Amino acid sequence: MTQRGEPPRLRQYVAARARLVGSGLVVGLLLGGLGMAGWTLYTGDARSSEATVFALGALVFGFGLLGWSGSILAGRGIEAMQEHMDTRSNWTERDSRRAMARLCGSGGGIMIGTSVVAALL
Amino acid sequence: MNWTQFLFRLIEPVVPPRFVIKRLLLLIPVLFGVASVVFAILHLAPGDPAIIIAGQRASAEQLEQIRVELGLRRPLWEQYLSFLWDAARFDFGQSYSISRGNSVRSVISDRLPITLELAIYGQAAGILLGLPLGIISAVKQDSLTDHVTRIGALTGISVPIFWSGPLLILLFSTYLDVFPTSGRIASTLFLPDTWTLFGRELPLTGMITVDTILLGNTEAFLSAAHHLFLPAVVIGVYSTALISRMMRSSMLEVIRQDYIRTARAKGQGAKITLMKHGFRNALIPVVTVIGIQFGTLLGGAVLTETVFGINGMGLTIVTAIGVSDYPVVQGTVLTFALLFTLVNLFVDVTYSYLDPRIQQ
Repeated sequence: MTQRGEPPRLRQYVAARARLVGSGLVVGLLLGGLGMAGWTLYTGDARSSEATVFALGALVFGFGLLGWSGSILAGRGIEAMQEHMDTRSNWTERDSRRAMARLCGSGGGIMIGTSVVAALL
Repeated sequence: MNWTQFLFRLIEPVVPPRFVIKRLLLLIPVLFGVASVVFAILHLAPGDPAIIIAGQRASAEQLEQIRVELGLRRPLWEQYLSFLWDAARFDFGQSYSISRGNSVRSVISDRLPITLELAIYGQAAGILLGLPLGIISAVKQDSLTDHVTRIGALTGISVPIFWSGPLLILLFSTYLDVFPTSGRIASTLFLPDTWTLFGRELPLTGMITVDTILLGNTEAFLSAAHHLFLPAVVIGVYSTALISRMMRSSMLEVIRQDYIRTARAKGQGAKITLMKHGFRNALIPVVTVIGIQFGTLLGGAVLTETVFGINGMGLTIVTAIGVSDYPVVQGTVLTFALLFTLVNLFVDVTYSYLDPRIQQ
């Protein structure tokens, strides 16, 4: 039961997930911004740099999203299979889901960071 | 009662609608993820769509105009969001080169039935041969039949399509002249675009064996089946091998269970025990393999269609990549992803029907 002063369960639930994706997003923003600026300095072409770095961000984001949904869809099955076949590798659905959510955030961050720096340049 | 309520009423005795809704919702991020990866790969790939459309001799002004028309001069985030929106509506624009001027949607709707037909026949061959072979192999464990089946299964899994396809063409088409090397129907036969049902003209399905049956053209059906046999065998060999191996190991595990021994001790016949109690339980892991296998068959269609010159989705995707026809690549890849996820959804539903504990 929720006690007085304790944050409601939904808020806790959302905050935990927001922290997870948010930490990835911040890293992504930095990577995207720096990557865009660095690549432009190196090639001298802001448009092609934006295309390359943004596409890399989309790749990370898509991969993370596929991994996240794949973990939910098949994670329990993989855990059970590992247990059944006696090949435990400490891989868990929860860890995979969390890692993929962070990756998803990073990909999104790279895309946003690239777009912001491209607009400024 | 609307159609969704009707559908839920229909599936309720088999599987809870909540389970199906949850699985359906998970398809959204999967397709969204695939679309993002496709967008990224196509933007990272070399080649300029404007040059592909206008040709190498086009002037700089013409190329720039095409780039503007295609929206390639817009910021990347805008292109990305617009791509996702188009993908959600399954609108990929027009083909640049392989079917210039036609919409990608029409290219896919023309060629998808061809690939589906091939995959369905391959899968049917795999199930019809693989399941009995696996059961026989398990029941007659360590006998000559079991050894032969196991060696056959191992060979089937190990031989790649790009090797077995040309080899079978060489044997059955070139040397023995039993089957044709390519095509879907004899070149002397022509099919109309529509068929008639109760006086109404309806479009054909695009699956040539189905269409010939609908038209009641026996000669054309036999020719289509004759042309389809070798590609279906090539695509079905791997499936047969994998299903029989899986069925054997699953059946061996099940027939050692206490409930099978109990049924036999109560006087039930060996065949009835095996089929009534053993088969359904042994089928559970096999169903998963069949579902994943269908996705592999769609991938195998790329090779089989290329080897046999069948103009389906597989050959289309290979040609589209070769000529950098990006809208067609995007459309075909997303269609493959959608099919794969839908098949997996169907497998999940079947799985939960066979083993209701999954629904928990």
